[in-house]
Amino acid sequence: MAEQTQGAVPLSAVIADAATGVALALQGGGDPYALSRILRQGDPLAAAAVRVLGADALAPYALEHRAVPAGADDEAVVRQTLAAYPPGADASAVSAWSYRGLVEATHAYLPSGAQPWPRPPEAAAEWTGTDPWPRLAHRVSQLAALALPDLAGELAEQLGARTDDLARGFVRAVRRRDWLQAAGVGRWLARLPGVPATLGLDAGLAFVRQMGGGDPRVALHVVAAQRFFGRGW
Amino acid sequence: MSAGRGDPELLDRLVGGSLGWLEKRRDHFRLPPDATTDADPNLTLKPLGELAELTQFIGSAHPLPEVRATAAALFAFAWREAREGELFAELIRGEPYATYPVEIYGAFAQAGLRHPAVEELVLTTTGLRGWRVAREDHTRTLGVLNAERRIGLAQHADFDAAFARTGLGLRPEPWALDRRAAYGLTHDVFHLTDWGRNPRRLSPEAAGYLRLWLPSWLENWLEEQLWDLVGELLAVAACLPGAPYDAAAWQRLAAAQAADGGVPETGAVPRPADPAEDFLACYHSTLVTAFAGTLARIASDEAGAGTGPVPAGDAAVAGRTPCESEAAL
Repeated sequence: MAEQTQGAVPLSAVIADAATGVALALQGGGDPYALSRILRQGDPLAAAAVRVLGADALAPYALEHRAVPAGADDEAVVRQTLAAYPPGADASAVSAWSYRGLVEATHAYLPSGAQPWPRPPEAAAEWTGTDPWPRLAHRVSQLAALALPDLAGELAEQLGARTDDLARGFVRAVRRRDWLQAAGVGRWLARLPGVPATLGLDAGLAFVRQMGGGDPRVALHVVAAQRFFGRGW
Repeated sequence: MSAGRGDPELLDRLVGGSLGWLEKRRDHFRLPPDATTDADPNLTLKPLGELAELTQFIGSAHPLPEVRATAAALFAFAWREAREGELFAELIRGEPYATYPVEIYGAFAQAGLRHPAVEELVLTTTGLRGWRVAREDHTRTLGVLNAERRIGLAQHADFDAAFARTGLGLRPEPWALDRRAAYGLTHDVFHLTDWGRNPRRLSPEAAGYLRLWLPSWLENWLEEQLWDLVGELLAVAACLPGAPYDAAAWQRLAAAQAADGGVPETGAVPRPADPAEDFLACYHSTLVTAFAGTLARIASDEAGAGTGPVPAGDAAVAGRTPCESEAAL
């Protein structure tokens, strides 16, 4: 865990701590999860961290009994992020989908208070059919947080046609020791049907965690793959 | 990767350039006077053995007559350099338990080039119980078994059992493949298929495994610019049913070929200025490039003739006609 006693805590440390908190909650450890305990409303870096974590900031709410019922503080952190980082017209597909994922997660996991959540914005998906496999795998790894139950169903359906290609991306990423990409693609593969048996996905996720788990975001993806989709060990 | 005709023009340029480079540097393959005593076989016999193995195939199987003629002349040169087999008799008398003289001799023997003294010697040496002691490297065992088959000797071990213990037999997690294992895997394919002559010996499981994961491995080693391994992986792809053709990978290999036709082993370091060092840095990749280009070119012709591409899993009908085992001299 990063030191928080110094004046300026870098964003990367805030993200790492938050990812660790989410992973811990998904594993059933620690106190019941509350987003506003991990990232405080008003902290100038909280919104930026939620933006990076995307739907994962709310992942523990997808589990029964692992989170305290979301309160006004939790909702406020999310609303702060949604207001601060709306994707522009020229936003990349990853930015647009990531934002959409967070909005979808609010609908799926966080009952809103007085004010309803915004509607999930449209995000282009033609790249799921046209990207060459290395680029596809890279993009999908950046959208690892969308590999959650009841989220991005259409995206999952389209990616289901490209499991061989995503599996190739997993192989490439592990061989490059790009653990974050490997964990992200592996997490999506955990969600998808028809993953080639010779890939060895379960052993692969365990391997990625052993080799790259020092990065809390790598650990989070592997834990999510296991907790939600039963893959890896 | 896509199946189909590939790019015959690019393949012909690549193979022609490689053979031209080899032809110009033919004298570097000549054996020194101490080849059977003190010389390092990795710098003398290994290059000559590879030259023989691959030019015999190209010389008998490439669709273009002029390419066949160039390769056949190089193969004939290799046989002369081996003193028409006398070299192997000397090597075996010097190192009766070593496998490499038998393996290299096998490349000539299958083409009908034989030497009476070697034939007698190997009957004795390969019949020893000691010859059957397991070797460290199961891929190497496949190579020895293939040489025994080519020479017509009794197999010292069961081929299928040895194959089952190799990389391709075990089919490891594709992400758990290091460079050494990758070279092992390509050679499992070469020994199993008799260097591309008999691709139908690849089981549907092995072919399916290779078809799935070759694109990842190619991408990795293209990135590392390890051109000899890239060439070997492309050769393996050309052995698969339907011969999936990775146009981008072939273009990158072609771009690695220098104007003189040489293909360096790695793009990470500049080619040496010293001709002898340059030869050692290039001969293997250049031979592999000519070999892979020949396999892909044969597959391209077969696709053009309407015999391919063949759907995956239909390996039984996918084999090319086994090549003639003639001397091509």
